[in-house]
Amino acid sequence: MDLFLQYIANGVVIGSTYVLVAVGLTLIFGILGVVNFAHGEFYMLGGYAGIMAVTVLGLPVLPAIGFVLATSAIVGVAAEAILHKPMKNRDATSSIISSFGLAVALQNAALIAFGPQPQRLQTSFSTIPVEIGPIFLPLQRLMIPIMMVVLISVLYVVLRYTWTGRSLRAMAQHQTVARLCGVQVERVAVVTFMVGAALAGVAGMLMSSVFLVYPIVGNMIALKAFTVVILGGMGNVAGAAVAGLVLGIVESLTSAYISNSMRDVVGFIVVILVLLFRPQGLFGKAVDRS
Amino acid sequence: MTFFSRRHMLSILGATVAAPHIVRAQDTGPIKIGGMLPLSGAASIEGRQIILGLQFAVEEWNARGGVLGRKIELVMEDDESNSTKGVTAVRRLIERDKVPFIVGTYASAVAAAASKVSAEYKVPMLSGGSTGAIATDQNTPGDPWFFRSWPDSNAQGEDTARAIVDKFKKTKVAIIHDNTNYGVTLAEQVTRVVASVGGSIVSKDSYNAGEQDFSSMLTKLRTLRPEAVYIGGWAGDGANIVRQAAEVGLRTQFVGSGSMISDDFIRLAGPACEGFAVASLYEASTPNPVGRAFGERFAKRHNQDANTFSSLGFDSTSIGLEALRRVGKPDSLEIQKMIKGGLKDFPIVQGPAGTTAAFDAKGSVNFPNFIAVIRNGKRRLDA
Amino acid sequence: MRNISLSLAGILLLALLPFGVGGYEVNVAMVILFYVILAVGLDLVSGYCGQFSFATGAFYGLGAYTAAIMNRDLGTSVFVNLPAGALVAGLFGLLLGIPALRLKGHFLAIVTIAFQTIVYLIISQWTSFTGGQVGLTMANVGPVTVFGVTLFEIASLRAYYWLTLVMTVICVFAAWRLANSRLGREWIAIRDDETLAAAVGLDTTRGKLTAFVASAALAGIAGVLTAHSLRGVTPDDFTIWISATVVAMMVIGGRGTFIGPIIGAIFLVLMPEFLGRFAEYKMLIYGILLVVAITVMPEGVVGRLRQRSAR
Repeated sequence: MDLFLQYIANGVVIGSTYVLVAVGLTLIFGILGVVNFAHGEFYMLGGYAGIMAVTVLGLPVLPAIGFVLATSAIVGVAAEAILHKPMKNRDATSSIISSFGLAVALQNAALIAFGPQPQRLQTSFSTIPVEIGPIFLPLQRLMIPIMMVVLISVLYVVLRYTWTGRSLRAMAQHQTVARLCGVQVERVAVVTFMVGAALAGVAGMLMSSVFLVYPIVGNMIALKAFTVVILGGMGNVAGAAVAGLVLGIVESLTSAYISNSMRDVVGFIVVILVLLFRPQGLFGKAVDRS
Repeated sequence: MTFFSRRHMLSILGATVAAPHIVRAQDTGPIKIGGMLPLSGAASIEGRQIILGLQFAVEEWNARGGVLGRKIELVMEDDESNSTKGVTAVRRLIERDKVPFIVGTYASAVAAAASKVSAEYKVPMLSGGSTGAIATDQNTPGDPWFFRSWPDSNAQGEDTARAIVDKFKKTKVAIIHDNTNYGVTLAEQVTRVVASVGGSIVSKDSYNAGEQDFSSMLTKLRTLRPEAVYIGGWAGDGANIVRQAAEVGLRTQFVGSGSMISDDFIRLAGPACEGFAVASLYEASTPNPVGRAFGERFAKRHNQDANTFSSLGFDSTSIGLEALRRVGKPDSLEIQKMIKGGLKDFPIVQGPAGTTAAFDAKGSVNFPNFIAVIRNGKRRLDA
Repeated sequence: MRNISLSLAGILLLALLPFGVGGYEVNVAMVILFYVILAVGLDLVSGYCGQFSFATGAFYGLGAYTAAIMNRDLGTSVFVNLPAGALVAGLFGLLLGIPALRLKGHFLAIVTIAFQTIVYLIISQWTSFTGGQVGLTMANVGPVTVFGVTLFEIASLRAYYWLTLVMTVICVFAAWRLANSRLGREWIAIRDDETLAAAVGLDTTRGKLTAFVASAALAGIAGVLTAHSLRGVTPDDFTIWISATVVAMMVIGGRGTFIGPIIGAIFLVLMPEFLGRFAEYKMLIYGILLVVAITVMPEGVVGRLRQRSAR
């Protein structure tokens, strides 16, 4: 029983990164209708930015997080200029191809710039253990769910109570009406990409202290994030948050009680079943988008 | 505008391809030798280490006046760990550059596909890091065209398993491996040998290469209290496992596959890898005097210690060049015969003292693997 | 008429190529032919029928592994394996086509990526059946005997190249007939407006499934040809990067233009051969080309050209 709670805790840690990556992905899709296949690369770049901030610039952890947020936001602005601005009046396949090309380009640019060898962010508190009842977590792991809750809460408040947040939600509901009501569509698009990239970037940075960063690390996390987005319902932020944690816990329990070799397969099987039988997602409403 | 420049470019490309090349190797110019390694893509981590050994061998030979009175030029091709690309690269090296032998490549599957083509051209290949038995097993016994100057992965698994039971005196062994052929083959060999020399396997689990979170798997493993844990897979994953094991409080003797030999592994695993053991073909502190001298020269030139990767690249290249020198002309048929049987007195830098390029009928040199143990952040060979 | 004589001249030139150049150049030309089949096949389902697929590499691999496994277990030659590979890949194409009946655009793209990943996982990890990461090697059962001529080892590359050329001509011709048939026009109708196509009484289910099957079967044929040319298969030759490359070929050349993907295939295979030591930038260049092409020239080189001449 003690171990069961430990497994749940491990799942919450990994699930929190899925949440951070998937919420940005679902936001970009829900508001702008862009399927961003380069989202895993935001995660990867966040990891490298974190390593640069700590090892090259010598920043302490919290300013380093700020640095990663800022760089990722810039990446988001650039990505919007490539993936959304020139594609506004085109069909959905254009942004799919374009973001796929961007993902390929970014991965290989990182390969050339940083080399293929994995890298790791070494922080001062990397070995401080924290015990909560029967659960044991190193501080750097505990940071991940904490940061997730903080960032998602901030996002919730922004979406709920600020003018920008209201414009974002208006856009998600109906573009033309939002535009008629005075929402600046261009600005909303840029903000959406900035937020999405920043969330993924922070996830990448936090994970680079626990795991490793290498140029193709975004592939797997992007697949997981797509799984989460589909489970939660495309464009559904709350759904993505719940589904992310669920996927993390399911994976952890799979490797604890069934076999570790099955953990990556479980998500795929679920997603294909969901796509076949409930394409609107577990928490989504059925909407005909044609 | 765009269209015209593109069409223009295409027609130039077409003309270059169609032009038959009648370039003849000149007897006074440099002798070209071929090299083929993964220099881009995931396996370029290893490829870029191995190429240092190739280049170092060529530099040293050229400093001594080259071979047959001519300078040596190393022509490198990137196979991207892709068989289609590897086969094209071999044809290009042999037909365009007229190389008498090729050193390459790292991925065993690519080496197997490429060496079939080079054997048709009757040009010998010397392994550039491929350790899988598949590449030498497809040689015709007695007439190999693919040579590997070190033992295959089955021998590595055998030596590792014996070290766990006999040297470290650990009998309850847990096995973790990735799902690549490399990890699976080694894990099976270790499992078999551990059981046959009196040990027992307490658990066996696998992961996908590149997986990041091992915490739950290792937490479960801790409850089984293994005396030793064998990890078969790539270096990055191995480092992740060792580090996360320390986090969840699993402290035991860790033993890894040969891929975890690099200094990168130590850097990524951090202090958690203290005591980690790994099978090794070469260490700078080798008891082999030829190897030790090579290590000193290499360290002076590159400001870093030679390792398994640079040493095997150096050996494969030196063996090819020595065969070329003894034959006296860049004739690939004669060179194959010379490598096959004529170099039993040629010392190599890998393996224990006195190891020579004595290839067996399948094109492999057999010697026991070292077992290196990490102490104070360095691999050591002392028993 | 002009198109036909141009095509015939091109085929003749390609057939005579081995007399003018060495094995390396023939090898490169053969790789181009493999990709021509792949790109033309993808164009049928994506360019004509508008169903997005990132799974070309998976069908390519299914064809190649069918050839290698049949060769291992049954000792079959390339001539038996060609239809078998097309059949197996086509059946899986049907399987992937079923979700396409319900899903559109991005959903479909994600399913094809999942399919590609699952096929890769199976061929790389079902070691007892597929040889795992190391793959399978095949005996040298080239087309040597069928031509009735004793050809020596290196010369058999020529024979194999000609076989590849013949198969490519057959595949491209079949694809061209399909694209210009009534079925091909149905595909275009589905791409342009599926609701309208269904409203006027077209069987969109049949249309989509046939496009998926045709595309997959062509990729399967390319896979069989590749497996026999390498005399073996390895999973890393059938990754999502292959799919990405073929998508790039199609998009850069021009979707739904038929000739465009062929030009894209020639261009992208030749490019790295001329990049020389800059070849490590290959995938970076593919990525950038893909982004630039879809942004400034979404209709591709050939599409743009046709627009100009139409003006």
